[in-house]
Amino acid sequence: MSWIKITMKFDGTCIVCNQKVKAKDIGLWSKGVGVKHEKCAEKNEELKCIMCGGLAGCISCEFIKECDLQVVSKLCICKKCEQEQNSFDFYKNSVMKKFPVLNLKI
Amino acid sequence: MMWSEKYRPKNILDLVGNEEPRKLLVEWFTKWKKGMKPILLVGPPGIGKTTLANLIAKQYNYDLISLNASDVRSKQNIQEILNPVLGNQTIFGTPMIFIDEVDGVHGRADYGGVEAIIKILKESTVPIILAANSDLSKKMQNIKKSVQTIQFRPLPPRLLLFYLNKILQLEDAKISTDSLMKLVKESRGDIRSMINFAQALVTGYNPPTEKSFEVLDVEGGVNSFYKSNSVDEARSILYSLRINPRDKINAFYSSIITSKMNVDDMQKFLQIISSADMLYGKIMKTQQWRLLRYLDAILLGLYKKNLPIRYSKYNLSWPILNRIRWDGAKIKSLMELFVKDMHVSKSTFSSICLGFLLFCVKNKKIDLELDESLQEIIQKEIELIK
Repeated sequence: MSWIKITMKFDGTCIVCNQKVKAKDIGLWSKGVGVKHEKCAEKNEELKCIMCGGLAGCISCEFIKECDLQVVSKLCICKKCEQEQNSFDFYKNSVMKKFPVLNLKI
Repeated sequence: MMWSEKYRPKNILDLVGNEEPRKLLVEWFTKWKKGMKPILLVGPPGIGKTTLANLIAKQYNYDLISLNASDVRSKQNIQEILNPVLGNQTIFGTPMIFIDEVDGVHGRADYGGVEAIIKILKESTVPIILAANSDLSKKMQNIKKSVQTIQFRPLPPRLLLFYLNKILQLEDAKISTDSLMKLVKESRGDIRSMINFAQALVTGYNPPTEKSFEVLDVEGGVNSFYKSNSVDEARSILYSLRINPRDKINAFYSSIITSKMNVDDMQKFLQIISSADMLYGKIMKTQQWRLLRYLDAILLGLYKKNLPIRYSKYNLSWPILNRIRWDGAKIKSLMELFVKDMHVSKSTFSSICLGFLLFCVKNKKIDLELDESLQEIIQKEIELIK
């Protein structure tokens, strides 16, 4: 995923902090992904495991080169939880617990 | 059946990743009342924006009225489709509007479309959800003023792998670890393309190894396509043939037209090529690149087991090409010789005068003193008019 430094032509929304990147400001742009502030690009927060709530172990993840931590969806899974039995059901239950609003029963 | 369809989530909880944006959308929907700003879902393709909008309509019992990239979204069309919905809700039940790929509304083909959408957004009396891959263009800036934006993100590769493993487990299929890793990396957060490629790999002609991801060149692609043992194998070859769609259509056309086959097959295949060509023409004209996904499905109709079709670069048979190349050059020099004396243009000579000239020579009305090669071509042409 390559990021290009651009002078913003229009206002945009930073994909890291969700705040405005104003027109004429410098932003980092990637095709199909969006823009982010230069400052936000320096942050490198590790993803969290949705199942156990701990850190997802990004440093030792086999996808560390491909996974842009600032861009991807914020909740991942850690190696340990991935290897649990019936891990997919466990994953769904965890989502249901943390985001009960998604469990629509209408 | 396509796995991406088979495993399409049945409810919002079945989706993977983007939990926070999903939550925001559900909350917006739960609180929705007249006058609230519509929602714009922004994010890369294949992460579930369209699926989410469909599911939310289904789960809240709304009647979904959707406009996607394959519809003409001009001002007139949008007004014709959506204005009745906004005015007469009782007739339409409880409608919800979903405009997919709103960033793809085309300036010319969909003239006035953006303005019409903005007008509807400002006066919304029903829930409206828009989806876009990017919100950075000028037209999107105008749309964004009237909506609340929810950003969707690509999925972390490990989560993708986790989901893919679940599907493979349900399908009782296996892919080597190397191929799995490569597949996940190449999908770049796009669940749909990852599932499609996985299916192509599992049902494909090559064992799921690293090599099966190699992009086939046009010659290898067409030849392997006709050597395949099953439709599934042919399908996976078509998917691997990542070349310009126009070149793909041309390659199949030239290969078919130069091969020996029965008239019925030839007619059927040319009909299929014609459909593919029309689809590509529509894509180019309207810039609805979303439709490109149907091109391979059309071209798959060109597969028939044990057909002697092999790749050929030229769309004419060799004897015809030979004649154009060599005889054409001789006719051209003959033409240059005559046009000056006859005071006519080259095209007039070749389309009108040449025929008469040949008849005169044939009936021995004139005797031309030409060199041997030109005499030869005249004799050849006379033979042909017999």
